[in-house]
Amino acid sequence: MTFPMKIDLEKLVTSVFQDVFMTSFRMNMRMDGPGAYLLNGEAHIAGAVGFIGDMTGVAYIYLPVSLARRLTSIVVGIDEADVDADEMINDSVGEIANMIVGGFKGKLSQSNILCVLTIPSIVRGSNFVVEPVSDTERFVCSFRTETNQQVVVEVLIKPSKPE
Amino acid sequence: MGPKILTVDDSKTIRLIIGKAFKSFDCEVLEACNGVEGLAVAAKERPDIIILDITMPVMDGFETLTKLKSDPDLKGIPVIMLTAEAGRDNVLKIAKQGVRDYLIKPFKEELIIDRVSRVIDLKPKGGGGNKAKRFDDPIRVLVVDDKPAICDQITEGLKDTTWSIVGKSTNGEAVDYCNTHSPEVILVSLSLHESAGFTLFQMLRTSQKTKTVPVFGLCVKTAVEDQARAQQMGFTGIITKPIDIEELKNKVARSLSLDTSYKYFQLKTGVLNILLPVNFNNNVANEVSAHLRSKVSEAVDSGIDKVIFDVSQLRAADISLIKLGLEVIQLCAELSLKLRMLGSEIVSQECKKYEETAGWRFASSFDEAVAQLSNKDLTHA
Repeated sequence: MTFPMKIDLEKLVTSVFQDVFMTSFRMNMRMDGPGAYLLNGEAHIAGAVGFIGDMTGVAYIYLPVSLARRLTSIVVGIDEADVDADEMINDSVGEIANMIVGGFKGKLSQSNILCVLTIPSIVRGSNFVVEPVSDTERFVCSFRTETNQQVVVEVLIKPSKPE
Repeated sequence: MGPKILTVDDSKTIRLIIGKAFKSFDCEVLEACNGVEGLAVAAKERPDIIILDITMPVMDGFETLTKLKSDPDLKGIPVIMLTAEAGRDNVLKIAKQGVRDYLIKPFKEELIIDRVSRVIDLKPKGGGGNKAKRFDDPIRVLVVDDKPAICDQITEGLKDTTWSIVGKSTNGEAVDYCNTHSPEVILVSLSLHESAGFTLFQMLRTSQKTKTVPVFGLCVKTAVEDQARAQQMGFTGIITKPIDIEELKNKVARSLSLDTSYKYFQLKTGVLNILLPVNFNNNVANEVSAHLRSKVSEAVDSGIDKVIFDVSQLRAADISLIKLGLEVIQLCAELSLKLRMLGSEIVSQECKKYEETAGWRFASSFDEAVAQLSNKDLTHA
């Protein structure tokens, strides 16, 4: 099994990511290009979903909690001020990650790369870093909302074993 | 009670989205957060449809579906599968399970409404046995016109009501608004660029959310072709520009079957006051007449035996007033109610000219009418 070229991965992740944001939130996400997530002291949240099979890895979606609250209010249909439980925000971010990685999995299956997904998990904090172990293939892509808030998708892929 | 929709999903967000999507329909949305719970709710509540997620802890969607299909009592319930995994293997696996349909997340609200409504009959809330709305209840009115002055004019004209007016200038904005706010009445300009008003009407009629919402076309009186086209397409009615606000109110009230009786029938100090407004005309007379028997009976039932027919705001007597007056007199006689009329000198003089009304006597104030009604010798007018 050979992994897709990096450019394909970027195209694939970008299209799935933009589709999820447009369909669920009617948000047109502008691509910033490859880049790290900028922690600026604000509280942040990351949703993670793993995939195991012909391709194995994990994908993270990073975003500020303020944006996560806004997305939750849109998706659930309540005022932002009424999104009062962290659990509700966690669940929404987990579902966003699930939809993005689910779409990613679907695109991979078109190239006969089959995998199953893990359940979503959440990381919260104002200062954290996800570091891949050596040899892990890493792809990071940054997007911006219309109000210039940053959302980053990071995909870590386990190297394939020689066939 | 409308149909029951059971959503089985471990994500509270998805359950909330589904609940929100069907909020404006006459149905009950039940929730379960995994397959085991879903089977229990299905057995107890017998839903009309199940929206079943695939990836869930405790018991996933496939196992849940297998158990549902093996239960003779539950196997007939239609199931729509929901998955975030659009992979070919997944879709093939779903297709083999004999489900009615499947949806891939993320999905638009209107898509799930559309899929569910193909299986069960969804009706918007408020269209049936629900209590009728009153004219003074809040009503959401959407105005779709690229000329902001029209929306401003309608907003200004309706400022004495509790209705909320929202203006949108394009079809896209209007459809987005309808998806999130469920307007109760829609006014669409027929002069939008490239017949966009007619296109919007077709879009509104194909959406489950708006297919029964009254839609009025807005156009100038001389645009007869547009009016004919709108009527042919099934618009609820036409509002011509310049807009006559009273006509607009009446048309909207009729289209929504709003209860307007409170405007004409009021209980005051042990008396039922039938008040005719300053803008009294044949339409108002018909409205009052339509409510007359039920409102008077209601008053009698609550212990009222005195009625005042208040025409003091009218500046003239016409055939509509005479017909209505005679109806009121006859009803009060039937029910042995004491009746007094209240009216201006002008109306009193005009009534003397006609044979049917020559004997009508009018009190000049409400207090005088009440005092006359308290006279024990008075039976009816």
